[in-house]
Amino acid sequence: MFDDDVTTVAFMERGAQQIARNLRRKDVAFLQTLVEQYQYRLVRYLIYLLGRRDGVDDLVQETWLRVLERGSSYDGHSRFEPWLFRIARNLAFDDLRKRPTFSPDSAQSEDCDPAALSPASTAPSPFLLAARSEDAQRLAHSMQTLDPACREALVLRFQEDLSLQEISIIADAPVSTVASRIYRALATLRTQLEERKS
Amino acid sequence: MISNRHEPFQNMIDEALVAGTSASAQPQLDEHLQSCAQCREYLETTTRAIASLGGFSFEVDPTLQAKVSDAISLRAQQLEPTQFSANRLVMACILAVALTVAGSFFDIKFSGLLASVLDLHQAHLQHGLLTFWIIPSLFLLLLFPMLPLLSRRKERIL
Repeated sequence: MFDDDVTTVAFMERGAQQIARNLRRKDVAFLQTLVEQYQYRLVRYLIYLLGRRDGVDDLVQETWLRVLERGSSYDGHSRFEPWLFRIARNLAFDDLRKRPTFSPDSAQSEDCDPAALSPASTAPSPFLLAARSEDAQRLAHSMQTLDPACREALVLRFQEDLSLQEISIIADAPVSTVASRIYRALATLRTQLEERKS
Repeated sequence: MISNRHEPFQNMIDEALVAGTSASAQPQLDEHLQSCAQCREYLETTTRAIASLGGFSFEVDPTLQAKVSDAISLRAQQLEPTQFSANRLVMACILAVALTVAGSFFDIKFSGLLASVLDLHQAHLQHGLLTFWIIPSLFLLLLFPMLPLLSRRKERIL
């Protein structure tokens, strides 16, 4: 088991270094394979972060252009995903800052209060549209009203399988804050499932 | 206030699912779960909540990848001349440094010898070297780093 872990880590490091090398060379063909590989995950992360679908495709494109331009700043010593998601997050926040409804405090809030980052929208909830299972349908509304920071922590921990340390780097928050966000988000979802059951 | 005796175990369950439980706490938690239906249900509901995240499947625009690839190719083409001119600028700076150093070295070491061969005054030869070699290379050396600033200014004016 320990040998397997060591092999996996070594494989991941080699992968990260290969990505770093190709990004330094601005290898367009390699970047396009990364786009294909990470497309869905990037879209999903941005939807969780923003709580909306509109504008996500533009942010995905901007993210990859930023990766092309600043690829040399990725050193390959850590996993690629946190670096990629941090770029996407910064661009999403830059975009939100241009909107009149944005409050910088809400972006760093620890509470899972109703979404403060997501601007009011008449568009249907992306979570409702994306719910494929019975439980997901039950939780779609709660997902929409969760604090974006909590949603972000949820998707990074349980869908992207990132460690709390990696999430804390992406979210620019202490590990304890990230853990607290996940506990609060889980409490909200649990309550929703329990209510439906009762 | 009556403390909930399940709370410490439920916190342990959360911690186990989010950050992983320490090896020392695991047997204690397992033992409690065997005897406590309420905590078992808590674990089951939390696990269900986490699993339900996999039940969200977002639609991705099928043309998105092509759009992103086109944008990347275009930006890469735009970046190439910048990269090329940056390399050229560095080369020119190195050349200017080499010329300045070589001129100064020649002036110090060989100006006396050359002056005697050409039957000139050493001071005159040194002034000549300074005017036609060292100062122009020094000027080039100072000018090259300013070129990007000048070109940016020109772009702004245009």
